[in-house]
Amino acid sequence: MAERRIVTGNYAAAYGALLSRVEVIAAYPITPQTFIVEHVSEFVNDGKLDAEYMPVESEHSAMSACVAATATGVRSYTATSSQGLALMHEVLYVAAGLHLPIVMPVVNRTIAAPIGIWCEHNDTMAERDSGWLQCFCENNQEVLDMVVQAYKVAENTKVLLPVMVNLDAFILSHTVEPVEFPDQKDVDEFLPRYDPKHAYLRPKDPMVVGSFASPEYIQEFRYQTEESTQNAKEVIRQVNDEFAEKFGRDYGGAVEEYRMDDAEVALITLGTVSATTRDVVDELRDEGKSVGLVKMRWFRPYPTEIIRDIASRVKALGVYDRAMSFGTGGPSYMDTKSALYGHSTIPVLGFLAGLGGRDVMVKDIRLMFERTLEAAKKDRVEKEVTWIGTRGVQP
Amino acid sequence: MYEVRFHGRGGQGAVMAAQALADAAFVEGNYAVAFPWFGAERRGAPVLAFTRVDENKINIKTRVYNPDYIVVLDEKLMDFVNVAEGLSPDGMAILNSPLDPEEVDLGMSVKTATVDATTVALEVLGAPITNSAILGAFASATGLVSIDSVKQGILDIFGPRIGDKLAEKNARAAAAAHDRIKIGKCKAERTYPEAKKWLPTYQEMPLSLATKPTKTDSGLVGPGSSVENKTGSWRTFTPKYDEEACTNCLMCWFYCPDAAIKRLEPPKKVGFDMDYCKGCGICEEVCPADAIEMVR
Ligand code: SF4
Ligand code: SF4
Repeated sequence: MAERRIVTGNYAAAYGALLSRVEVIAAYPITPQTFIVEHVSEFVNDGKLDAEYMPVESEHSAMSACVAATATGVRSYTATSSQGLALMHEVLYVAAGLHLPIVMPVVNRTIAAPIGIWCEHNDTMAERDSGWLQCFCENNQEVLDMVVQAYKVAENTKVLLPVMVNLDAFILSHTVEPVEFPDQKDVDEFLPRYDPKHAYLRPKDPMVVGSFASPEYIQEFRYQTEESTQNAKEVIRQVNDEFAEKFGRDYGGAVEEYRMDDAEVALITLGTVSATTRDVVDELRDEGKSVGLVKMRWFRPYPTEIIRDIASRVKALGVYDRAMSFGTGGPSYMDTKSALYGHSTIPVLGFLAGLGGRDVMVKDIRLMFERTLEAAKKDRVEKEVTWIGTRGVQP
Repeated sequence: MYEVRFHGRGGQGAVMAAQALADAAFVEGNYAVAFPWFGAERRGAPVLAFTRVDENKINIKTRVYNPDYIVVLDEKLMDFVNVAEGLSPDGMAILNSPLDPEEVDLGMSVKTATVDATTVALEVLGAPITNSAILGAFASATGLVSIDSVKQGILDIFGPRIGDKLAEKNARAAAAAHDRIKIGKCKAERTYPEAKKWLPTYQEMPLSLATKPTKTDSGLVGPGSSVENKTGSWRTFTPKYDEEACTNCLMCWFYCPDAAIKRLEPPKKVGFDMDYCKGCGICEEVCPADAIEMVR
């Protein structure tokens, strides 16, 4: 029987690795991810997880080691945060380019300057063009479940791309809440051993992995990544359904819709703000307002078709971002607008809040809905991007 | 506008020649651009460089596919590279060759100027570096730039890289070659095998290019495929090995970029695999015992 315990998001992320029977772990600690590294090293030390644990000297080395390990044909794991992810940057492209299905929890933390340790999505958003797939989690159960699902998506032969499992710093990483731990036997059935056919280093069956490529090849190479990314959309759906069938938790695939049936407006969210927004939606519904939540779970591949479908059913969309692409808007806001261009003329508003770990409060989310309802009524965008809770800035 | 394609080998200075020609044309009041094209291979691999010259500003940024002139720095290149490919029928080939134009076979009959640039370079520079001499030949064969401008171009481009003194010498090599060209028309007797490239569609291409040994139209790709790339055909200079002097320190074995030096069973020391030795001379440079000498 699956057991239930009250654990942190970091523990859930580490336990996901254990359940996935990762074979190589290479990691470097950074607040607030440190406990993930400690937990997995303990699992290995205590004999609970039969893996090679490599304490490396930097995140650059951590990702390099994972690339090499996965290229030999084993399942590998690391985790990082903020500056650590930035230090991995160039190797992230190697992992994605070589189609190595590494899974990496990233504890979303603001990236310096200024130095801070709290939640912001500007660390992973900076890597959204690296070829990695990215999902965002709402609670610790989802963190654990998504590590397991992420391997299944990543290792699917139609995908073969690495995945970042994003969890908000402190709001999940250091928060305990009840989590159900699936049985190992069930996870083993769900997630078979990684057995690559496309890239592996075995001296008896030689293969060039990571070769030089002249301009005659690189464009096709990039197209392969594009196709794999597109394929991931369908695979995410299948894996979600298979997981729901086996473990009883259905996350809705790339996007979860909450009280969207007859909603006039919706707010698109990423990460833990989704959870608070559920309650705000309930409150507003009680007040007679026709609002719904669109929880963006997989941000890469961007669920273009799903967002178009949602836009066809509502009168206005608000998009919440916890990162800014300066001079334009939040990345999720921009992707939403880009997905809708030529397909929809409804107003789309962008909201920034919670940067650097500032609390995103119920009243902030209410304001997002109010503005979106107003835009729906007027059928026009009066202000594209609204910074909420910024001293000196009129929201 | 006229377009020039230079053919040489990595290390021969084709790129500097293309730049010096652009500089010479610029000195005469033209707009000119010059740029290289090479792969990742090292010294000795065939390289291309291009020069475009016009009275007006040049916007086009593509490589040159139908040059008006080709300039070949390496006399052996013509034996297996179709250097005249795409050359305009009204164009001209300027070749480093001791032969008369009529004796040269480029697979197409075009106006040709030959100059024994290697001999000129050996006389003037004391080294077989032909990139300056060939420019002198270009100036006299085409009349597009004056020899004085070419000399200026060499001083401007070569000077900052190899020093003014050596640049001066190179300018003199250009002047010497200027008067030693032979003009005629080359033969069109041979046919070059069509250069085949492995150009898979993205579906055919192994995912992420992780490649097992694979036979393709253009030969083997993947692990071990360099066996088919007989770099020995690139060689103009050959290492002469003195086993007596050799201390078997293995520096040459370590440094040879094409793994053409083999360790032999004692009492023998090292041996050279002429199928792959491209004649780069690195072994001569690194040998502490002076046991290797590059000879033509
Ligand atoms: S044997 Fe000497 S000259 Fe030949 S390729 Fe090797 S280093 Fe170059
Ligand atoms: S570097 Fe010179 S001395 Fe050393 S092994 Fe080679 S030939 Fe002999």
